[in-house]
Amino acid sequence: MLDIILKLIEVSFWSGIAALGFGLLFNIPKNAIITVFALGFGAGFIKFLLMHFNVHVVLGSFLAAFFVGIISIPLAHKIHQPPVVFSIPPVIPMIPGYFAYETVLSIMNFLFMEGDASKRVHLIDAIFTNGFTMFFVLIALTVGVALPLLLLKKNSVKKIDI
Amino acid sequence: MNDTSNLIKTANLLLDISSLLMVSGANTNRANLSIDRFASVLNCKAYSLISHKTIIMTLTDEETNESCTRVQNIPPYVIDFSIISAISKASWNAITENWSIDQIIAEIERIKQLKRYPRLLILVAVSLAGAGFCNIFNGDYLNMMMAFISTFLGLFVFQQTNKLKYNLYIRLFLGSFIASVTASFGILYNIGTNPQTALATSILFLVPGVALINSFHDLLENNVLNGMVRFTTGLMTVLAMAIGLFLAMYLFQLN
Repeated sequence: MLDIILKLIEVSFWSGIAALGFGLLFNIPKNAIITVFALGFGAGFIKFLLMHFNVHVVLGSFLAAFFVGIISIPLAHKIHQPPVVFSIPPVIPMIPGYFAYETVLSIMNFLFMEGDASKRVHLIDAIFTNGFTMFFVLIALTVGVALPLLLLKKNSVKKIDI
Repeated sequence: MNDTSNLIKTANLLLDISSLLMVSGANTNRANLSIDRFASVLNCKAYSLISHKTIIMTLTDEETNESCTRVQNIPPYVIDFSIISAISKASWNAITENWSIDQIIAEIERIKQLKRYPRLLILVAVSLAGAGFCNIFNGDYLNMMMAFISTFLGLFVFQQTNKLKYNLYIRLFLGSFIASVTASFGILYNIGTNPQTALATSILFLVPGVALINSFHDLLENNVLNGMVRFTTGLMTVLAMAIGLFLAMYLFQLN
């Protein structure tokens, strides 16, 4: 049990680092640095906790991104930054890079390497599974982040009373 | 100064602000909102068509009903959240303190001069992010080291080719190719338990996250054209990355 929790915290920590790295690449303001790390950590924690309980990666990513979207509203008030500044970097570590890689790998095998018909069928399966997982995770992330503001029907966080 | 030249000055300022926002990675709605806020401070009404490369704006003076239309091209996109944040703050301050046009121009000039983080810091931070990705996808610490080195070299090439003013997609291809070739050595010499992870995560620093997220933002807010443009840009980026990865894997015969 302790092992799992430690592993979870380690993975979340690296999610936070990844969020921070992208934040610096996108030149976030200095007073948003800790927030971005914390949000990256939180998003990673939620996603991997849910995936540990066998929640599908698409739903897990959606809920984690939704969490980032919601939390960034009060934070935008508190440290006086527009919410995009800390809603985008924490979501980037959840971009389904591995599924993209697997898709490309399977396409490549299918096109250039594999001659055996039954293995080619498996490759088609891999292309579709990984490709569509990647696509739906992407949609889940973007909609999850955008949804809180859309639901509140406000075009500026300053108009939301907390 | 007569009214017309004043109006032109205002229009140029608003165009400058909106193109700065678009370049820095704001979504179309935010650019429109900022224009409206600044225009209301300057007693004008602004109507604009914002596309990916050009902004067309008609500005009407609310007192004299005079109007002028200006067009401005948008320079290449460089994502910079500090600028978005600073412009957002400036727009609120301008409303509450009722700034004059010269005050706003001075503030925008100051914002344009804002510095980015030092290059070395960005290189190390993004490489650490690459190592972080590797950990997320079950890499051990040796794999993470490979991911770190690959990302570092890839990003270095990506930045260096920017200085030489290469085409963006050529740069993406080169960055992804260099990163994946470096990571492929990890597979060749079997470094760590999961060397494939390092290869998969080494090119993630190029992922068009902002373009894709903004694309869906724009689509959800009915800025369909800009949303489609951003999505296509994101898709082209992924394609360029994939070709780089593809070539490296083909050279190393990894399958």
